[in-house]
Amino acid sequence: MARSTVEPRTVDEVLAWLSAGRISSGEAFALFRRLETAAPAGDAPGAPDDERQQQLAAVMAELDALIGLEPVKELIRELQAFVEIQRRRAAERLSTEPMALHMVFKGNPGTGKTTVARLLGRMFQAMGVLPRGHLVECERADLVGEYIGHTAQRTREQIRKALGGVLFIDEAYALARGGEKDFGKEAIDTLVKAMEDHKDELIVILAGYPHEMDYFLSVNPGLRSRFPIQIEFPDYTPDELFQIAESLCRQRQYRLSPAAALRLRRLLQERAHAGPYSGNARWVRNLIERAVRRQAVRLVRRRRLTRDDLITLEASDFEEAKVPGAGVRWSGAQARTGVASG
Amino acid sequence: MKRCIIIGRPNVGKTMFALQFAMYLGLAQPRIAFAEAGGRRWEKEYDIGSALADLTGSEPHYTRQLQTLRLELPAGKGRREFELVDTSGLVDGIHPDATIRRAMAQTLAAVRDAHIILHMVDAAQAGRTDAVQALGEVDYQVAQFAQMRGGYLLVANKMDLPEAARGLDRIRREFVGHPVAPVSALYRQGFHEVKAFVWRHL
Repeated sequence: MARSTVEPRTVDEVLAWLSAGRISSGEAFALFRRLETAAPAGDAPGAPDDERQQQLAAVMAELDALIGLEPVKELIRELQAFVEIQRRRAAERLSTEPMALHMVFKGNPGTGKTTVARLLGRMFQAMGVLPRGHLVECERADLVGEYIGHTAQRTREQIRKALGGVLFIDEAYALARGGEKDFGKEAIDTLVKAMEDHKDELIVILAGYPHEMDYFLSVNPGLRSRFPIQIEFPDYTPDELFQIAESLCRQRQYRLSPAAALRLRRLLQERAHAGPYSGNARWVRNLIERAVRRQAVRLVRRRRLTRDDLITLEASDFEEAKVPGAGVRWSGAQARTGVASG
Repeated sequence: MKRCIIIGRPNVGKTMFALQFAMYLGLAQPRIAFAEAGGRRWEKEYDIGSALADLTGSEPHYTRQLQTLRLELPAGKGRREFELVDTSGLVDGIHPDATIRRAMAQTLAAVRDAHIILHMVDAAQAGRTDAVQALGEVDYQVAQFAQMRGGYLLVANKMDLPEAARGLDRIRREFVGHPVAPVSALYRQGFHEVKAFVWRHL
């Protein structure tokens, strides 16, 4: 059993570790003893609790700062309240609902699924539901192996990495590709077993396009009940996309010139009628990043540059950027996801 | 109300003891409150025979939830009520079954707010093998944990078996400084000492 150097700090954590199979009952008693001798105040660990409250407030603020996604935010607030009340009920020794927090995220690419998953991990960590709260992203290729027995091994490897946090499986419907004999089925079975074994220290999120996910869940009826929370991520409206573009510029200390703003709006409007994958924030990010590079090219030969020049993105920087995904391959991790789902 | 909890490894006779002890204190029709680790709760009334038949068995982990009995002891002119909590067995190492691990976590949570801990060990097993094998790591940890609090009694069960006398000696040597009460839960022997201990700590 791989043991981390982190020790549970509260009685509840000791109990969670015990039921998750991270420590034996003997070790749990030893930890109790240590906790009681260390903190004679008993059940009132003041400082860490405060810290957690602050952490939680920070995460919720970050969530609120996300543009659009109103139904998602509402659902997450609901979830947060539910978990909190269940915990308080448990503290009063009232009966509690079993908490199955595994989720399905349905939405087109670039609608905020990964961002929200990352925030959820931190939120559950702050609430004491998950010990670590980190996010492990993976997809079919990370889970499915090449020969018999390889898949279970690879899937378990990913699960091990994700223990204590969130396992985010992008384009999860791909696990149902290839029919009965495909190894994807084995990956699903391994996953379901792990969810059972590590109930209190792993949250699994399956993500993918709405239609494909619906089909995926319909051919794996057992999954639907194990993933009781389904969150739909609507496409961004052109207006929201524009706000996202503005905030991306702000983060990078750039500014859109009025003409550039106009052109960007037009591009977003055109795109809005360009099929089902239009409301895509990743495309907007690529657009901005491309504009930043074009601005650099435009400015690099000039002799005199004002601070304003360095900040401003002009309309011409957005020319030719209509083709989504073009010219983003060089930018590392983003390119990978961008190309995979674009 | 004060709470008295029975803990120990699987199959040392915790449930048998709880039911027989209840009868010893004059409760012929125990009403048992069950609480599963998952949160499910229910109550059921038994007569002692059906309770023994239903709730005890020879395989380990027969009990997988908290089973609470409400009992009374005479105190002065009145009577004093207390709860006797029977628990799921504690094993060494990491148990592969998540249900049992959760049941153990539930047991530990209950131990923390119990006033009296009856720690049951199998004296016959200790006589057959040696004490270190019969008593697991968890037994030693329980003893050390309980040292810091009052109201801790080791109960050496299965004294009706021939090997148990030797086992009792070994247990006493292993847990020097802790009170040990030898009992036979099956035949309700040695209960007087346990009763006196509980009475003193109520």
